Amino acid sequence: MLLSIKNVTTGYEKAQVLKDITLDVEAKEIVALVGANGAGKTTTLQCISGVIKPWVGSVSLGERDLAPFAPYQIVAMGISYCPEGRDVFANLSVYENLRIGAYLIRDAKEFRDRLDRVYSLFPRLQQRLNQLSGSLSGGEQQMLAIARALMTNPDLLLLDEPSLGLAPILVESIYNTIQEINAAGKAILLVEQNVGLALEVSSRGYVLEKGEIRLSGPSPELQDSDYVKASYLGIA
Amino acid sequence: MGLYLVQQLINAFSYGSILGLLAVGYTMIYGILGLINFAHGEIFMIGAFVCYFLVTLYHVPWVIAALAAVAASTVSGLLLEKIVYRPCVKRKAPVLTVFIASFGVSLLLRFLFMMFFTDRRRAFPIPELFEKMYFVGEIAIGLRDIIIFVSTIIIMALVAVFIKYTKVGTAMRGVAYDAKTAELMGINSIKVIVVAFAVGSALAGVSAIEYGLTFGILNPAMGFIPGLEGFIAAVLGGIGNVPGAMIGGFLIGGGEILFVALLPPSLSPLRPLFVWALLFVILFVKPTGLFRPNVKFEGLWGE
Repeated sequence: MLLSIKNVTTGYEKAQVLKDITLDVEAKEIVALVGANGAGKTTTLQCISGVIKPWVGSVSLGERDLAPFAPYQIVAMGISYCPEGRDVFANLSVYENLRIGAYLIRDAKEFRDRLDRVYSLFPRLQQRLNQLSGSLSGGEQQMLAIARALMTNPDLLLLDEPSLGLAPILVESIYNTIQEINAAGKAILLVEQNVGLALEVSSRGYVLEKGEIRLSGPSPELQDSDYVKASYLGIA
Repeated sequence: MGLYLVQQLINAFSYGSILGLLAVGYTMIYGILGLINFAHGEIFMIGAFVCYFLVTLYHVPWVIAALAAVAASTVSGLLLEKIVYRPCVKRKAPVLTVFIASFGVSLLLRFLFMMFFTDRRRAFPIPELFEKMYFVGEIAIGLRDIIIFVSTIIIMALVAVFIKYTKVGTAMRGVAYDAKTAELMGINSIKVIVVAFAVGSALAGVSAIEYGLTFGILNPAMGFIPGLEGFIAAVLGGIGNVPGAMIGGFLIGGGEILFVALLPPSLSPLRPLFVWALLFVILFVKPTGLFRPNVKFEGLWGE
């Protein structure tokens, strides 16, 4: 088990968002976490990455409980979070964003290798290295956000709504890349409002509703489930 | 007239340097923390006093005293960060609270020094060597002017390279823009804040030495006006933008000297008018300052 969330209840300040959720991700698999807006998907990812802490329950990476660690330490352990809404450093160039993403890398060769890997996944970024990332298109920013998250060579990549606000053809391209990333050996916890898409690429899924796990199972089963079909896939 | 102007240009550069160095400190700290460090002027003042006491009381060689002064300013800034501002950050204090704390520390330091050392103006130690004058035609250039000129250029170039090309400098710009996301890259934003305070305070120390060399005096309240003008220069340059702050410093400081130089002597009390008028005009025309600011939100705890 790579990532294990056990009976976690948590929220922000005094507002509870997640209630008793249990979720896990094995190495090298793609797991989908789907649900409507406001269900608590981003909260889950923030809890994993250490931005918020569980009130009850635990989040563990392998054997290690993540509770005592700050976000910058959790990154060093191999979890990389690509936030919702891209969140690139708009005041910095594409290259500088990648450089910051690689902040923890001390070895120059390793940095170059990572860069090359990222360029091969996202050739568009290599063409726009010195461009201010604030001036990139939505699709390019999404690519940059994912590329930046990959610079630390994580074992687990948390992707928060990568398809949000992107044109279908770009979404397709990004999802192909997501599968390439997974093929290279990275586990991915994929958070999406676009349930159909998420279940297509993932091997397992969890359906989150109002902070609770409503359903879980292998993705093909979820895709076939009447409940999911009716509530999320628009198939009566 | 031409000769007078050239002399004033030299003074303008000196005062511009002083303000530019202070402005960089303000802008770095504001960029990362959303905090106007009112005590920055006192960190400046502490540097000047350390140099003064080391030379006059302990007869330390001037260069060593000057370096110690810069170190003292740096240490003061770091202590300030650790004791006053970091608890505010850790407890997610509202911006107004930090504002008041900053103002309070400024007053505290200023009046502590007044209490111990009285408010009287003292003569800043200037080595005799520095009094040497060189003549280019009819223009008199003091050695101290040259020292200020050369050291400012070098220091500002180093800071610009640091902020633009080093990993830590880039991390600082990232944290200034979006601290939460920067943390997700593995950047410990507290460490970055410490670096910002260290660099900014060291520059304030250098600025204090330059001020002492230029004006020859020091007193506990000396940080108030340069601090204020330095802050205005930082705003003028686009808050959070380090090269912008340097340029802002020269515009305000240099402009002020030239303004007074060009005015008839009877109008010279109007001197402060320049700074405020310039600020008003520029903010009217371009509210974010001359250059691109480097902040996204108003502070580390994002609003």
